[in-house]
Amino acid sequence: MFKKLLFATTASPVCDNAAKVAFDLEVKWEAKLLILHVMGVPGRAFSLQFTDVRTGQREDISPDYVEWVKEEMNNTYGKLLEDSNAEIVTAIGDPYREILRLARKEDVDMIIMGAHSREEDIGATKHRSVTGSTMRKVAKAARCAVVVVNRPCTTCWRLFSNIVVGTDFSKASFSAFLWAFKLAREVGAKLHIFHSIDITAEGLTLPAGQTTIEQRVKEARRRIEQTYIPKLQGYDKYSMEVWEGIPYVEILKFARDRQADLIVMAHHTREIDPEEAELGSTVEQVVLRAACPVASVTHPDKVADLV
Amino acid sequence: MYEFVTGPLAWLAFIVFFVGIVVKLVLYIRGLDWKLDRVTYSVNTSYGVRGALRSIGFWLMPYGTQSYRNNPGFTLALFVMHIGLILTPIFLLGHNILLAERWGVSLPSLPEGATDVLTVCVIAAALVLLLRRIALPEVRIITTAYDVLLLAIAVAPFVSGLLAHYAHDNGQLWTIVHVLCGEVFLVAIPLTKLSHFVLFFATRAQLGMDYGIKRGGMKSKGIAW
Amino acid sequence: MPEGVLCNKNKVNTLEQLQALLADKSGKQYYQEMNNLDVDSKALWDLVQKTCKSRTRTWLEICTHCGLCAESCFYYLSNHRDPTQVPSYKIQSTLGEIVRRKGKVDNAFMQMAMDTAFSKCTCCTRCGVYCPMGIDMGVMFSYLRGLLFSQGFTPWEMKIGTGMHRIYRAQMDVTTEDWVETCSWMAEENADEWPGLEIPVDKENADILYTVNAREPKHYPEDIAQAAILFHVAGENWTVPSEGWEETSLAMFAGDWEACKMQVEGVYGAMAKLKPKRMVVTECGHAYRATVIEGPYWAGRTSGKPPVDSFHYVEWVAEALRSGKLKIDPAKKIKEPVTYQDSCNYIRNAGLWDSARYIMSQIAEDFREMTPSREHNFCCGGGGGLNGIGRYREQRNIGLKVKRDQILATGAKLVVAPCHNCWDAIRDLEEVYEIGIRWSFLKPLLINMIEVPAGMRGEE
Ligand code: SF4
Ligand code: SF4
Repeated sequence: MFKKLLFATTASPVCDNAAKVAFDLEVKWEAKLLILHVMGVPGRAFSLQFTDVRTGQREDISPDYVEWVKEEMNNTYGKLLEDSNAEIVTAIGDPYREILRLARKEDVDMIIMGAHSREEDIGATKHRSVTGSTMRKVAKAARCAVVVVNRPCTTCWRLFSNIVVGTDFSKASFSAFLWAFKLAREVGAKLHIFHSIDITAEGLTLPAGQTTIEQRVKEARRRIEQTYIPKLQGYDKYSMEVWEGIPYVEILKFARDRQADLIVMAHHTREIDPEEAELGSTVEQVVLRAACPVASVTHPDKVADLV
Repeated sequence: MYEFVTGPLAWLAFIVFFVGIVVKLVLYIRGLDWKLDRVTYSVNTSYGVRGALRSIGFWLMPYGTQSYRNNPGFTLALFVMHIGLILTPIFLLGHNILLAERWGVSLPSLPEGATDVLTVCVIAAALVLLLRRIALPEVRIITTAYDVLLLAIAVAPFVSGLLAHYAHDNGQLWTIVHVLCGEVFLVAIPLTKLSHFVLFFATRAQLGMDYGIKRGGMKSKGIAW
Repeated sequence: MPEGVLCNKNKVNTLEQLQALLADKSGKQYYQEMNNLDVDSKALWDLVQKTCKSRTRTWLEICTHCGLCAESCFYYLSNHRDPTQVPSYKIQSTLGEIVRRKGKVDNAFMQMAMDTAFSKCTCCTRCGVYCPMGIDMGVMFSYLRGLLFSQGFTPWEMKIGTGMHRIYRAQMDVTTEDWVETCSWMAEENADEWPGLEIPVDKENADILYTVNAREPKHYPEDIAQAAILFHVAGENWTVPSEGWEETSLAMFAGDWEACKMQVEGVYGAMAKLKPKRMVVTECGHAYRATVIEGPYWAGRTSGKPPVDSFHYVEWVAEALRSGKLKIDPAKKIKEPVTYQDSCNYIRNAGLWDSARYIMSQIAEDFREMTPSREHNFCCGGGGGLNGIGRYREQRNIGLKVKRDQILATGAKLVVAPCHNCWDAIRDLEEVYEIGIRWSFLKPLLINMIEVPAGMRGEE
């Protein structure tokens, strides 16, 4: 399932937890691991300068500098790199764009990254005058799964026992579901299919009567049964649940309840204009709060075999 | 002496002047190169002509351009001086009497009082321009002795003319000095930077064609000078 | 060692040369070698005699030293009215001297001239609009850069830039494959949201041949996607060429006349091959100037025009809005005060101010002009290649002050800057002076504002 992995790093502490997962996956799946370090956002116009993402210093691109960064990366991940055959790649550009570029070029199966907080993205934001984090933009456009690791993740992926997948019945969510299933089946974990009725969403702004909600819950369960369960091809280690509330809160509660090792969800393109969403998208909210890694799957490319 | 300076010498000065400016103009035009200048002078010429006329017209109009409007004092001095420089010698009564005596032709004349005022204005304007050259650092830095000399050459005929007209003692002498100054001025026009007498029209027309043909003249109403 | 390994009179035509230059961090060795570079006075004078004809000579000769050009130059204004920043002084002390001394100038002089031509002038040509004699010092500085380049005196980034053009026919190392691949990538990335979105490559007889700035495929491919979406919504029959897609010309900034010619011939070649009805270039000022305004002359086209009618992006947008191909949702117009950065290259030097005004009237409720504006606008501060030259960063930053004050005076917090150079300069301006503004190209603004016909946007 994971032949080629891409670990996108800023070589800062935020990425440490992600790094461990990346190296672990590399070894356990005997995958090829690419470590991408986006050194900085492009400097002035066509010039060769860029702003180093870590130091904020203006730097000139030169082979020496690239070597130095690689050296630094070796220092940062020294221990982890010992058993690894990872290849270090450097690039200059908007981080999300370069991550996507390499992922596409190498056709990787999964992108692993740390939860880049907004502050860290500030350089990039200023640079292009766009809001929205690297994480969101990568999650939205990547054709493969994007795993964001925020907290230390000690469980080896091979030993996962509970995988939670959140769905809003969108096309993207369906891909997320298929991917979660694929992984669950491969490692023998239990798949928890979850939907939350969004009580904040339009149409339900008025305190919805209990009966309406009950009706909706029933409907959602039926939808899961009809469209999702048949795809499990008889795999019986699964559960399904429909709750109501604010989706990101509910999925977090649910994941905690089921002791999830991994949360899988889609990036919701339908969501409010990112410029206006102060809190960020559901994925981002979940990522920041979840105790386990979060995988975002938005496109069907890597689950084409299951569709 | 008077006969000589107003006779052969004057002829010479006028010949140098007229031939000089024609040569200047011809050389300028012949040196234009559509490829190097990056203006297709002979393609879309109507746009070029329009651009040239606009470029000359606006800049001949007092306060006709942004640059003039931004510098009202300078513009005043500039126009007063140039109008005086051109009108006075042509329409001065004395000159026309002389013309009539020598060649039997003459132009209409301005009343003496008017030409006197013009003369004084030219001198005053020249003084303003001179002071400006000294006072403003941005002008001082580009000012050379040559610039001052040219200013002097341009004003000398006026100063000497006034003296010749009003000096009671050495009238004859001042008149000769005045005629010489005038001749120096005439000769200096084609031979020095004063050639902007004609080249102003040439360079303005050139830039006007540049804007008219290439730099947007065909896609807009024309640059607002 | 008169001719350096990196800094010399040779042109960069091979990848090895280019890589050697790139490996020289910040051009350290390059500039060191420049100190020993000999001036070939004879060659310089020969070149002057061949290329400096009556127009330029007359300009140099008849400057009356009136000083009116002083205030027209943003460098003069931003440097506390330093007299050495008076355009006439700057050109007389450099190009004027070379001509007067018949090319007999030394290394120190050439370096001074280079510093002047690049760090004291962006070739914005504003001074030419203020000179009573019609003397265009911007044009002369551009010419001076060419003389300097012929002798090897050009900033490091310029030498690299010309090498890029010579080798890749693009200002950055983007190959044809990279470019075509980026197009399909962008089409794919947006396919869900815009079903049927295409970026057709090398389609013949299209209505529009679209060309870009190499930075777009290199760093900001979403710009290409946005262009595609807007063409798609407007229902245009368009295409991009696989070769000749890059319109910019660092060669023009550097004064590498030979490379200028090579570059535009590539674009004209694409026009000849694909026979589009017309050409539209992305939101880039100098690209338009290089390819549409000056290019025909480099390529020796007697018509003075490119092979097909060519338009800047603002012209296309204005037309699309006028004809209703693109419709703005009135509720989504920009409500906040917004101003517009007139680019010297396609406004003053190409007359497109009315298109820009029309667009603003359609997309903004509170549009505020800068003072001055249109053809009289000041350079953003980053023209002439200055944004990218490390050696002159400090001078460039000082120069930005004029634009900063102009923007502040409008009270607008959003600056529409449909030009790569202006966009960069304004971004840098915010970084240096932190005045709390945002800046944008037109495309992202338009995408958020247009009415999308039903069924055109994907389900999600
Ligand atoms: S405005 Fe023109 S004539 Fe006057 S100093 Fe400047 S370049 Fe010379
Ligand atoms: S072209 Fe622009 S930057 Fe250069 S001297 Fe003239 S006004 Fe100044």
